[in-house]
Amino acid sequence: MISNSYKLARIIGLVSLFVCLIFFVWFFVFYEAPVDYNTEVKPILNKKCITCHGGVKKSAEFSLLFQNEALAPTKSGHPAIIPGDARHSEFIKRITHLDPEERMPPESPPLSAEEIDVLTRWIDQGANWGEHWAYKTITEVPVPQPASFFAGFSKFDVGNWVRNDIDRFVLSKLQEEKLQPSKQANPAVLARRVSLDLIGLPPPKHLYNVYMQNPNDEAYELLVDSLLAQPIFGERWASMWLDLARYADSKGYEKDSERTIWKYRDWVIKAFNEDKPFDQFTIEQLAGDLLPNPTDDQLLATGFHRNTMNNDEGGTDDEEFRVAAVLDRVNTTMDTWMGTTFACVQCHSHPYDPFKQEEYYQFYAFFNNSQDEDVPGEYPNIRFYEKAEDQAKIDSLKNWVLAHTQSEEKVKELDYFLKTIEPKVQPHAFDTIVKGALIDNKYLGVEAGGFARLSSFHLQNYNKLLLRYGAQNAGGTVEIHLDNLDGELITTIPVKSNGTLWGFKADLVDLKAIEGVHDLYFVFDGKPGYVWSMEWMLFMKSLPGEEDTEFTKHEKLITELTDAEVKRSPIMLDHPSDFKRKTHVFERGNWTAHGEEVKAGTPDFLHPLAIRNGQSEADRLDLANWIMSPENPLTARVMVNRFWEQLFGKGILETTEDFGTQGEKPSHPELLEWLAWNFMHDYKWSMKMLLKEMVLSSTYRQDSKVNNELLAKDPANRLLARGPRFRLSGEQVRDQALAVSGLLSDKMYGKGVMPPQPEGVWQVIYSGLKWKTSEGEDRYRRAVYTFWRRTSPYPSMISFDAPSREFCVPRRIRTNTPLQSLVTLNDPVYIETAIALAQKMLKDSDINAAIEKGYQEAMLKEISTEKKVALQDLWQEAYAFYQENDSAVVNLLNFPKAYDEPVNEKQPSNKGMEGKVNLETADIEKSELPDKCEGDCEKLAAMTVVANAILNMDEFLTKE
Amino acid sequence: MKNIDNILKELQYKSLEQTTRRHFLRNCTTGLGSIALGSMLGSCMGGSGDKVQSTSPQVGNALASKASHFVPKAKRVIYLHMAGSPSQLELFDYKPELAKLHGLECPPALLEGKKFAFIRGVPKMLGPIADFKQHGDSGAWISNRLPHFTQKADKVSFLKAMHTDEFNHAPAQLLMHTGTPRLGRPSIGSWVSYGLGTENENLPGFIVLCSGGNTPSAGKSVWGSGFLPTVYQGVQCRSKGDPVLYTGNPDGMNRDLRKKSIDAINRINQENYNEVNDPEILSRISQYEMAFKMQMSVPEAMDISKEPEYIHEMYGTEPGKASFANNCLLARRLAEKNVRFIQLYHWGWDSHGSGKDGSLEHGFVDRCNEVDKPMTALLTDLEQRGMLDETLVVWGGEFGRTPMQENREGKQMAFYGRDHHTEAFTIWMAGGGVKEGFTFGETDEIGYYGVKDRVHIHDLHATMLHLLGMDHESLTYHFQGRDFRLTDVAGNVVKDILA
Repeated sequence: MISNSYKLARIIGLVSLFVCLIFFVWFFVFYEAPVDYNTEVKPILNKKCITCHGGVKKSAEFSLLFQNEALAPTKSGHPAIIPGDARHSEFIKRITHLDPEERMPPESPPLSAEEIDVLTRWIDQGANWGEHWAYKTITEVPVPQPASFFAGFSKFDVGNWVRNDIDRFVLSKLQEEKLQPSKQANPAVLARRVSLDLIGLPPPKHLYNVYMQNPNDEAYELLVDSLLAQPIFGERWASMWLDLARYADSKGYEKDSERTIWKYRDWVIKAFNEDKPFDQFTIEQLAGDLLPNPTDDQLLATGFHRNTMNNDEGGTDDEEFRVAAVLDRVNTTMDTWMGTTFACVQCHSHPYDPFKQEEYYQFYAFFNNSQDEDVPGEYPNIRFYEKAEDQAKIDSLKNWVLAHTQSEEKVKELDYFLKTIEPKVQPHAFDTIVKGALIDNKYLGVEAGGFARLSSFHLQNYNKLLLRYGAQNAGGTVEIHLDNLDGELITTIPVKSNGTLWGFKADLVDLKAIEGVHDLYFVFDGKPGYVWSMEWMLFMKSLPGEEDTEFTKHEKLITELTDAEVKRSPIMLDHPSDFKRKTHVFERGNWTAHGEEVKAGTPDFLHPLAIRNGQSEADRLDLANWIMSPENPLTARVMVNRFWEQLFGKGILETTEDFGTQGEKPSHPELLEWLAWNFMHDYKWSMKMLLKEMVLSSTYRQDSKVNNELLAKDPANRLLARGPRFRLSGEQVRDQALAVSGLLSDKMYGKGVMPPQPEGVWQVIYSGLKWKTSEGEDRYRRAVYTFWRRTSPYPSMISFDAPSREFCVPRRIRTNTPLQSLVTLNDPVYIETAIALAQKMLKDSDINAAIEKGYQEAMLKEISTEKKVALQDLWQEAYAFYQENDSAVVNLLNFPKAYDEPVNEKQPSNKGMEGKVNLETADIEKSELPDKCEGDCEKLAAMTVVANAILNMDEFLTKE
Repeated sequence: MKNIDNILKELQYKSLEQTTRRHFLRNCTTGLGSIALGSMLGSCMGGSGDKVQSTSPQVGNALASKASHFVPKAKRVIYLHMAGSPSQLELFDYKPELAKLHGLECPPALLEGKKFAFIRGVPKMLGPIADFKQHGDSGAWISNRLPHFTQKADKVSFLKAMHTDEFNHAPAQLLMHTGTPRLGRPSIGSWVSYGLGTENENLPGFIVLCSGGNTPSAGKSVWGSGFLPTVYQGVQCRSKGDPVLYTGNPDGMNRDLRKKSIDAINRINQENYNEVNDPEILSRISQYEMAFKMQMSVPEAMDISKEPEYIHEMYGTEPGKASFANNCLLARRLAEKNVRFIQLYHWGWDSHGSGKDGSLEHGFVDRCNEVDKPMTALLTDLEQRGMLDETLVVWGGEFGRTPMQENREGKQMAFYGRDHHTEAFTIWMAGGGVKEGFTFGETDEIGYYGVKDRVHIHDLHATMLHLLGMDHESLTYHFQGRDFRLTDVAGNVVKDILA
């Protein structure tokens, strides 16, 4: 028995062993690792196949863009891919064909063995399509726990290094790569770094001093909180946002005349300062006008999409450039919030991402109903009546309406009307003009005996017509007839003259109230020449109380207010529903080739769009809500990545502008996911909380020094084993130099300013706009306030990679060029800052101490001996030079101010020291440019050369 | 047999691949630190047309000279853009039939479905406001507006059936210079800088010279770098003030002291590099060295005062003046110094007839006088220096002008003028691999529409790149998930004009 059972056990044992063996043999011989579509297959298809087989081109009727297309029969009648059967799939046959003429891809080297292997296994495993990571809903991801000891680096203390969850993600990755993070940067460097990042300037002295007394974690957090609370915080972050918003102070295109939209820029600064949650921040900018009872600020915010260009060039078709602006809104919205390149879809379905062409135009429909129409007045605007007399008129009108209607609602309507004076009808709405023209394609001019027709206009019992026109001669008349030239007369307008066709004045005339759709014939009579030149008109209903004796007096206030000089800022407003524009697909992207009609909608493969209650069709507000929906896979990812890029120099996904399948892969996908989730759910879209989390991490606080191992393994610092180190932005370069020298103005908001700019930079044709150097503290304002002209941006800013702001720029690519060096070496702005810094340095009579101080002011840390020697040597040379050259002293110190004069008027400035510098009274904290040099001017000149060198050090231009 | 041939070819290709530029490149870009040094610039860079472009190029060395796709005919381009668009009907496209129709109402067939910038209603036909003769052995028609240029009839290729898509200046100029009527794309000069780099590290590789008192309608975007890094944008050289912005030292600081200060800056930077080891610092050091060299080389290149008298006589130059003549001479000087792309703009060609300066009988004649002698001299000068063969010269506006007289707002105008026209205009090209004394393309009897060998702007771009040794379909830049080209999805090389 015993032996039998023993035998049995042996047999069972042997059998099990055998079974195991078979399994292992099977496993090693036949098992295939599962293929991941997104990370393994898609990159090969995109790189090697899709140019001919997908989107635009479908060679041999084979497309790899969508699964249903790829598995469908091709031109040959058979599908090229048979799921589960690579051997019989034409697709595999063709990529492995021996004859290069038959083999795919044509005229290119064959796919590698690994690539072929991946594609073969993929088809054998069923040719499954995967969803691109960035299109998956954002989920909460677990935070990894890095191993408690570091292989090979036993000294490294994980517990001490990790400060927050960001660090856990980063450290886990570093452990995979067998890299050790860097220690914390020294406190002075860190204070400078975090301050340049959060407020765009070196830390304010008092904050810096408090922190440096005892630079521990609590003090650092306090510093961070204090910086986040500074009002200048908003100025720094506005610069980032304004590149996306393509904000500028001019309209663009040929004339590129001034646009007054700086109140929008100020809105952005304030929004950052008050930490407006990003969802609200978004909704107000995209659809503030559609919110219930929008505030002035919410209307101003819609200026985001009024930063599109406006073409005032003579002979341009307003509709063409209105369409261009709407297209720009579509592309900018997708670039800014969705990190998605949508522009290709304008002409054809996307070659790489699942966007269909009609979806582009469904998206276009959201923006196609806005009232702006490329007219010189940039209507619609929000109007700010700042004069007391205008306010009094408004009050008087409001009281009138209240007294005659007892309705607060009517008062609100009036208030809103006066705020916008819309909806206007523009001259280009006339479809027939006889004996007349659109003057310069802008204003309606018709001669006596001529007429202009407005077709199929929906009259809704309007009994008043408000219009603005200019006329050379009085005595003309304009009659409006219904449906034909001799049709029913609904008004006769006696033309008033102000002696010129161009000085437009408002006029309010009676109209016979009619309901229904009619053609309106405007029939002109008067002296030779144009009877008038009309800017716009507006059909409206009369004020209440027509029977009242005071009525005319009050009605007149409407025209007075229409003509009042007000501050204006362009905003978005939609046409009322019965004037709504239709949207068509543009065949091959051509705006004149209308295809099928489409309704507003969002791309199918993304989360569903919800239409608000009571709406028959989706509008911009629904779109804004859709963008900010927690189901949206893109917006939160895109935004946290943008903020990360600002701090770390590169996004977690390097291609911040492209989250599609052609974008790079994120370096830390889980961290990106975690940040995006937290931004939405934990921080409730608070941008300040997000930034705080990032800058409090040990990852951010690391020393930025590079060692050879890191340089070899990770030259671009994608793994974050060291702190960020990269050149400052154009704005930061300017602002820092002004701050360190003490010249920087802390004035906030208002019209764009004009710091010194070389003569002759603006040579824009047909434009009266002149660069007039700002006076007083406006000369020293932060870069965000510099007047931004699109066709000719401020030269030193574009040298440092700032865009022209003609269109949305999601990422500035940093360059390093000799032209940048020339700016900081020779631009009078930088000479002026050098003089001011030199003044501060010379407060100390000892030259060595002065040099130490200059460096300390710039870098917030002590100078090393070697660097000091370099500057001392320079001082010696410069001082010797200026002792020998009196006129050089004068010329250097006068240079910045002398530069303001036009070149041809500029005198050689050797007629004595007109500028005066007083070394004794110059304030340390707040400098002023010398007006007079009293004392040792040679010293000041020589120290200016030293200060100029300090302001040009790589470390000064770099966030270390 | 064919199969075997192919396979053999493939083997050859493979062995060649071992030594191609791209392969070379890969071996070359490993030592990041070393290539950033100024002295090493131009040693082993490349990458034009490389499909696998990084999204953040190593811009420190981005301007280093690069190999072209194939052997180029032209090493550089001088592009003379006549902003505002001169009338082809008064210069090169002689239409005796149009003269016969002068003053008659335009037939409705020409107006149907057409849109013009300013013409309204029914305009009148306008015969040529110039006298034409044939010149040279080639018998090219050139009007009496360009008496000097007639000598060059046998040197240039005329493209007479050019056409475009845009009839407003700004969009048309953008199309002409960036390949698209909207903003955001790199200019042709930027593409060329990106593709070929610069051969003179002391001067920018893409230089812009403007005359006529205004920059072009489309603003600085016509020499902008669009989505390419800003190192590739055109650098404007000016006749007044610093030739390149900020190349002049501040008053009271001489070159010697500037040298010392740059030495001090770079000593500190070197010191800092020793501490932090960031190769970007080495790049900064080389940029300061280059800036210093440019401070010398730019004013030197821009100083025409030392040119001999006969040269001034030939071009009609006056040192210190902002003129097209001076810019032509500068163009030759810059070409001598191997600047890759030299772009001239001369403004004031928009002859609508709405004012004296904008009329065919006055302002237009002045413009012709301003450009005739210098552009002729430029060709002569390049030729006598043996440089014309390797320099491509292109001349033209952004669109053409109508055979009808403009009738703005439907009214008779005070002067002769023509409206903007997309369907036909003439440009000429010379040197750099282009046929001599050749005319390509033909318009109908009144010069309204190209009827033979029409050339679109994309074709012109493809041809220019071809002459520079680049395949316009391979010169790409990866941006926002897509490879972009100057010619977008169009463009055919105009082979007929290649010498």
